[in-house]
Amino acid sequence: MRIKVCHLYPDLFNLYGDQGNLLIFCRRAQWRGIQVEVDMVSFGETICLTGYDFVFLGGGAESNLSLMSKELQEKGRFIVEAVEQGTVLLAIGLGFQVLGRFIKTQDGAVLPGAGVFDLYIETGMDRLVGDILLETAVDLQEEMKKTSVVRETPLATLVGFENHAGRTFLGKEARPLGRVLKGQGNNRDDLSEGARYKNAFGSYLHGPLLAKNPHLADILLSRAILRQGGGKLTPLNDELEIYAHNVIKNRLVGGYNN
Amino acid sequence: MLRSQGQTTVRFWIALLTGKSAALLCRLFRHSGTSLPGVVALKVYPQLLSVLAADYERIVAVTGTNGKTTTANLLAHLLRSSGSSTVNNHEGANMISGVVTALIKDWTMLGERRSQIAVLEVDEGSVGKVFPSVKPDLLVVTNYFRDQLDRYSDLDHNINLLRRILDELPQTLLLLNADDPLVVTAGCDHSVASYYGVASEQKDQTGDCEIREGSLCPDCGAFLAYNYYNYGQLGAYYCPNCTFRRPVPDFLASEIQDDDYLEFILHVCQRKGRNENCSTADTVRLRAQMRGFYNVYNILAAAAAATTLGVSQQTIASSLMEYAPAAGRMEKFIYKGRPCTLNLIKNPTGLNEVLKTLLRGKGEKALVIAINDLAGDGRDVSWLWDAGFEMLDNPSIKMIVCSGRRAGDVGVRLKYAGVPPNKIIIEPECKPSIEGLGEQDAGEYHILASYTSVFNYSKLLRKMGKAVE
Ligand SMILES: [Zn+2]
Repeated sequence: MRIKVCHLYPDLFNLYGDQGNLLIFCRRAQWRGIQVEVDMVSFGETICLTGYDFVFLGGGAESNLSLMSKELQEKGRFIVEAVEQGTVLLAIGLGFQVLGRFIKTQDGAVLPGAGVFDLYIETGMDRLVGDILLETAVDLQEEMKKTSVVRETPLATLVGFENHAGRTFLGKEARPLGRVLKGQGNNRDDLSEGARYKNAFGSYLHGPLLAKNPHLADILLSRAILRQGGGKLTPLNDELEIYAHNVIKNRLVGGYNN
Repeated sequence: MLRSQGQTTVRFWIALLTGKSAALLCRLFRHSGTSLPGVVALKVYPQLLSVLAADYERIVAVTGTNGKTTTANLLAHLLRSSGSSTVNNHEGANMISGVVTALIKDWTMLGERRSQIAVLEVDEGSVGKVFPSVKPDLLVVTNYFRDQLDRYSDLDHNINLLRRILDELPQTLLLLNADDPLVVTAGCDHSVASYYGVASEQKDQTGDCEIREGSLCPDCGAFLAYNYYNYGQLGAYYCPNCTFRRPVPDFLASEIQDDDYLEFILHVCQRKGRNENCSTADTVRLRAQMRGFYNVYNILAAAAAATTLGVSQQTIASSLMEYAPAAGRMEKFIYKGRPCTLNLIKNPTGLNEVLKTLLRGKGEKALVIAINDLAGDGRDVSWLWDAGFEMLDNPSIKMIVCSGRRAGDVGVRLKYAGVPPNKIIIEPECKPSIEGLGEQDAGEYHILASYTSVFNYSKLLRKMGKAVE
């Protein structure tokens, strides 16, 4: 089996190790004998995303926000088109923010987003920073049990590191990635974190997100191979990933994360 | 500009130009070039060092077993901050060829020196070769520890060597570590000496298992008694049998805090005689981006030397704050009979440099990579994914022990970098990770540690192994 992957704007969105998500996604495919073909699409290039099974958009500097907004006013519809046709997408941090409906900046300006997710952003005065623990959305937990042929009960949580000034408010078309157990999440108030629509996933979590959440990586992968007629994934040895996940989880649950 | 005339001048020029050409070639061929130009130039003209050195306004030398590099680099930084142009053999090449190389690089092709002051780190075994040529205005002696690694250095030999050399340097002002009886012994015949030392509140944590040198009185051979130990044989000693005792420091460090920063109060004493108490003392609070108790001595020595050379306390305090030890500065140890280097890692670029450097070594390697996520390290360790750990998917890497509060993150990163899982060990705690390293039959050991763990490793390696300088 062969899947096509697109790294969107690797030149602008290359902060905080988020491109590690792409590496993890590809490795987990390759370890299962799935061939991966990766294309990079840079800022200003023409894009056509419907042919891709997985698209990744990473975190970037907030100074690039207006630049990105302008680019997506023109090109956002290609991302929307691909997502509507079932392309799997992961967007992190700023990449996540620009896929909403609009962003209200600190100085009152309103920048349009690509409109993949039904959400809007307000840029806050302070940043929400720190380790974060989520309870994975229940439907995702159910799906995780089915993604691989054999699997012990998968992790029910997601861990990562958040660092964002933007506050995300979800509309009714967007579902969160999970519920905040420790940390701040989308907006510090409603306990939601991230957003989902069809096969598109957005999140503030760095770490990178997929590093300590292999069960989420496998959801993305299994949805991507499904497009190519793939079935269940063969299980991998995730001891290290689960160990790293649990260290952070236990620390946050134990409340001694100083 | 060189003033002497005649035949010596010709040989001087040939030597200088040969040395400078060698330095250029080293740069072209990416050879480190910290001693080779000096070796070549000295062959042409063995007296080159004395001619070069005589031209400087001031020469400061630093010798001793531990802390030379840090002290000399720090002193050069303080002098530069005070507005004096300063050259130093900052790359740690501290034999005569390294000293000559540093000076050659400071001279232009037109035969002019660029700097006013030279700060020279001199290997304690090389004082006999360097000092007849270089007559330092100020000589700092840090400490004498037994160094089993260097076959050529014998403690007593080195101490007697310095003692003899000092007879020929009556004009040199000595700045001695009062807390080390061996240093005081080496300098005891000299007429002009001042002393630096650390006050008593810092208790030695290492207990009795540590080897302590210099437990015998140099004057009468009795066992020295101690009011307290600071580090090794450094402390407040006295001879119960005669008058030999720790001199009262002219420069005293007290109220030491070793947290995220190293901080202490420096007292600069004015006193009448060697064993008199201070009649008055100026105090200033010093703070540096360093850690480890042993660095108090290095900062103290550098600050004392700078004060002696007329740098104001205000300048010392402010420029000390700015001083950041060079990233990835290698500390060298011998552990389980194998060379072991310790490197601070704090960002992808620095880490990549460290990885490239260690992979240049030919032998099989075992590593500890220790990452914490405390304030001093950066709470977010995602940057590990921006670094080129893929380099470690290399047959010369036998084993990697992942350690620190983020041992798991390191392990996962390595796995996705292509390091075979059977080469990855998770051991979050510092000491067991070093022990785990010691079980690996590799030619060399490397420890890469983030800011808040690098000091623990340094401290433990000094105990479990042996520091090399
Ligand atoms: Zn005695």
